[in-house]
Amino acid sequence: MKKLLVLAIFLRTLVSVFLFHPDIKTYNYQASFLKKGVFNIYTYLVDNKKALPLKDDFVYFPLTYFALGGYQAIISPLLGSGFDSWLANAGSNSVVADPGIFKYLAALKFPYLVLDIAIAFLLMRFFENKEDKKKVFTFWLFNPFTIILLYAYSNVDIFPMILTVLAFLMIKKQKLFPASILLGLASGFKLYPLLFIPFLFLAGGNLKEKFILAATPLVTFGLIILPFISGAFFKSALVSGLTTGIFTSNSTTLGLSLLFFYAVLVDKGDQDRKKINLFNYWVALFLIIFSFSLFHIQWLLWVAPFLILIAVKKPNYSWLIFLLGILSFAIPILYMDRYMTVSLFRVYSTWYDLAPTPYTIIQKVYDPYNLLAVLHSVLAAGSLAMVYKVFKEKEVL
Amino acid sequence: MKKLIWFTTISILFLVFIAPAVLALGISLVPGDSQPGYNPDLRLSIYKDRDVTQRFISQDANLSAIGTSIRNPNLKNKQDIILALFDDRMNLLRTVTINGQNVEDGSLVKFVFDPIPDSNDETYIFTLASPDAGPEETIEVFVVDMPGWIQQYTYDQKVYPGGLPMVLYFKPVSKFAVIKDIYSNLFSRLLHLNFQKTS
Repeated sequence: MKKLLVLAIFLRTLVSVFLFHPDIKTYNYQASFLKKGVFNIYTYLVDNKKALPLKDDFVYFPLTYFALGGYQAIISPLLGSGFDSWLANAGSNSVVADPGIFKYLAALKFPYLVLDIAIAFLLMRFFENKEDKKKVFTFWLFNPFTIILLYAYSNVDIFPMILTVLAFLMIKKQKLFPASILLGLASGFKLYPLLFIPFLFLAGGNLKEKFILAATPLVTFGLIILPFISGAFFKSALVSGLTTGIFTSNSTTLGLSLLFFYAVLVDKGDQDRKKINLFNYWVALFLIIFSFSLFHIQWLLWVAPFLILIAVKKPNYSWLIFLLGILSFAIPILYMDRYMTVSLFRVYSTWYDLAPTPYTIIQKVYDPYNLLAVLHSVLAAGSLAMVYKVFKEKEVL
Repeated sequence: MKKLIWFTTISILFLVFIAPAVLALGISLVPGDSQPGYNPDLRLSIYKDRDVTQRFISQDANLSAIGTSIRNPNLKNKQDIILALFDDRMNLLRTVTINGQNVEDGSLVKFVFDPIPDSNDETYIFTLASPDAGPEETIEVFVVDMPGWIQQYTYDQKVYPGGLPMVLYFKPVSKFAVIKDIYSNLFSRLLHLNFQKTS
């Protein structure tokens, strides 16, 4: 296992150092204000927009700012004086030409590596059997999807994601209240775990427990955001496209509502506890979202560890999960966004700004939007089949 | 599980070491010097017979495109925007016409033409005009006062030093040359980093 771990770290370091998505620089530039003593990043960025070289709002929730900013306070002295000016550099070419970029990218992605490895060990705790433990460890560390999501697209969603994995470890042990707190904490990074509140409510044994389980994440989230509530916070984070994107499709809202009503009206739960199986609903929730929303590629990380748990528990589904992974990657790659593909290689050369994207290549022979629609339909069909199979099993986890 | 480990290892090594070469096969133009920074408040309006003439020196052979930032406020200009390229004796070499409706406000617009093989160190002149546009459909270009290969520009019959913040693009000698340049540039930067550490 040590050898596997070394190889896993080596592969992750390679991707970390050579592939660059500009989001990592943007949110780390914003987080750099923590070490300068800025507490409320939302109002600070809005008030100082004119004077700042990068004008973007901070679209994440407060814990992301404190996690990234806190880490930066530790590593900045080790990275030298050029680091802060690199973060603040608005020139798209000079940023990638900076000789320090390899070091900066490795340092900024290092927390992802630590959490990523920690998740591999956490996932092992879902199983008793030694063989299954080894399997889930390998599946997590050696699936290409999460490596690319985390280290090429610099996916900061790993912070809330590890908390959701911890929450489900609690749920597995029937500790629903700590799980609710963990989901609330996760929403302090990104809002998506709050989508699960209706199902937490249904999982409660009696009315009091139901209300406690549903209110806990909300209260935790409320306490986290309380010091930041302002117009700037509302506009930057709470109603940003990144937060509200899930509900831009009516079909997603319909699908999620149907899932909820199925839980209320049809699902009788397992025979012993008469409670709904939260794991199934968590997986189904995200598969429905990916089926009908024009999703961001980083959202895929939300469900990745849970699909890997299914792949280990039910090996028959591995190929379906792998196929869904390929499809769900193919869709955002076809978006008209250079940073989904060719521009990730700008560290090698800015000439990739002139390389055609998959969108422009396909455009020459076929309508890329039609192809997107076809792929999305296939993904939706596969996801719904997966949801059906997960529910048919009753107790996957 | 062994298959998965092999598959992922090979996929990641491919992504980092081979994919850049594969993607580079799609690069048909390479830029010369990067676009100079410019003051967004220094602009020239172009419409009807109000055009701009720019004199510059090509940095390489196979000059194939000229790019510059163009403002098209509220995307009002839907007329032709014409770039005519001359040699230094004002012999017309190339003409490129694009339509204003394809010009996003403030975007870097590339005028692509057939390559000029012996363009290295040669002086060229181009005019940029939108003769069918009225004052309501004006487009704007930026100007910088920088000596060097962007030599001088003429606007409203007056000559000024510097000119449009532009990028020249050249057709590469071969696909292999592009790949070689990309990797040698990357490795020289990595070696430079190593050198910095040891010194």
